[in-house]
Amino acid sequence: MHHVVLDEWSRRDSPVHRAEARMKIVGALVFLICVATTPRIEAPTFLGYVLLALAGIGLAGLPLLPLAARAAVVLPFSGVFAAMTALAGDTERAAAVVVKSYVSALAVLLLVATTPLPRLLRAAERLGAPRMVILIVQFLYRYLFVISEQAQHMRLAARCRGELGYERPAGWRIRFRGAAGALAVLFGRSYERASAIHQAMLARGFDGRIRSLGVPARGLRRWWLPAAASMAAVAIRLAGRMEFPWPL
Amino acid sequence: MHIPDGFLTTPLWLSLDVVSVPVVGWFGRRAQAGTDESKAPLLGLMGAFVFAAQMINFPVGPGTSGHLLGAALLAFTLGPAAAVVVMTAVLALQALIFQDGGLLALGANVFNMAVCGVLAGYLPYRYWGAGRLRRAAVFAGGALSVFVAASLAIVELLLSGIRIPGAILGASMAVFAVSAVIEGVITVAVLEALERINPSWVERRPAEARPAMGLLALASVLLVTVGVLFASAAPDGLEKLAEEVGISGRARALIETPLADYEATFISGSWAAQAAAGLAGLLLAAALGWALARMIGRRRRA
Repeated sequence: MHHVVLDEWSRRDSPVHRAEARMKIVGALVFLICVATTPRIEAPTFLGYVLLALAGIGLAGLPLLPLAARAAVVLPFSGVFAAMTALAGDTERAAAVVVKSYVSALAVLLLVATTPLPRLLRAAERLGAPRMVILIVQFLYRYLFVISEQAQHMRLAARCRGELGYERPAGWRIRFRGAAGALAVLFGRSYERASAIHQAMLARGFDGRIRSLGVPARGLRRWWLPAAASMAAVAIRLAGRMEFPWPL
Repeated sequence: MHIPDGFLTTPLWLSLDVVSVPVVGWFGRRAQAGTDESKAPLLGLMGAFVFAAQMINFPVGPGTSGHLLGAALLAFTLGPAAAVVVMTAVLALQALIFQDGGLLALGANVFNMAVCGVLAGYLPYRYWGAGRLRRAAVFAGGALSVFVAASLAIVELLLSGIRIPGAILGASMAVFAVSAVIEGVITVAVLEALERINPSWVERRPAEARPAMGLLALASVLLVTVGVLFASAAPDGLEKLAEEVGISGRARALIETPLADYEATFISGSWAAQAAAGLAGLLLAAALGWALARMIGRRRRA
């Protein structure tokens, strides 16, 4: 599955990987805000953002092409709405939407490709994200692939039992009910797995908070890189036009 | 309809972020209220279930298939507060590892799909989930959750200056309606299968005494959704109508009251005035969201 590559990337080692996770989140947000508030895309500003993102990717030692391809998943959505906006006569906004969404996706990707998700979530919690949501995302990420694999097994099993045989006109009804039944079973298995997990956690003394052993060391080199990057983003933003793009 | 970054205008994404964080935090505390035992494992696994449900294909017409989106189903099984939190977690993970939806736009996506989608989906079930109309209520809930979320996303895009020609807007509304119907049918089928396996998984509501209230709420949700959609698609049309009726000045003042001078200061005013107007708008939006959440919660507790 394609998430695995992200897991592999985020466990490599580089100055960007080693940087303090909270600072990386703040840096990414500053970058995103700079991009979002840029009124119109002029070539130098745009080039500045792209170069900054490329510098980050290069410094992190990540493969450029696969990363760029992954960020391109935003392009279908942006492309459709940009095309309509362009047809309506606002080509400037159309171009801005495509460029902004792509550069933003690249920045988020750089963040998650250099920080293992558990560390990222812990940092987000320390920055004030709702604790309940963070806890649930942690469980979700841990069991996402377990449950997905179960769904794949069930689909395979349905095929083996001849699901594809129902090709006659009335077949779709049966297949529809079959799929609904499969989902219900998947729901039940997830439900029961959750209670088994909860019991196991209670047995190990769970008190509502997930602890981890890795205590991030603090040091100057752990935060200066994201800080420098966000200052560069602000500089690029300020070098561009000083107006606010609020078409309300 | 996951909105990526770079689409929404700054006041919009900022205010929706500011509204969504406390609202979701509040629903999180509500979901946990009443039990000592941690619900986090269950809600996390249910989020994983929503992801995995995308792999089970439902045949819908020749050669095409759809899958469950799940907001309404979660509301019927876990209760609306927990469903809001689970959907938020799903959206956050989609934004982070699948680049599906932006990070700054996460507040907007959470507002559309996790908050409004879940609450709109739960509305029919709350009022008609017990009686003869149960099946229709489940269907309407599934359909409404998709339709409201998609319409809100379109409204936000339109407000941000994305142009969508009328014909295409009509066509995409038709697509939303079709996917809403598909979600409704799938939700009914899965919920009935769930009840056959284990009825205790599905939230049972006592018969609601005031269906008139429900009808009113349902009508207002639909009216607001469609009305806002039309208003944002054709603001000039609205103004023209007002002019023709001859109340242009007053109507405009009414429509734009809270931030009447927003546009004026935007053009002529100083940066500080703009910032103040924006901040006032944010505070207003946050207060409204908070009040709404409190109101809904109180009614549910009663």
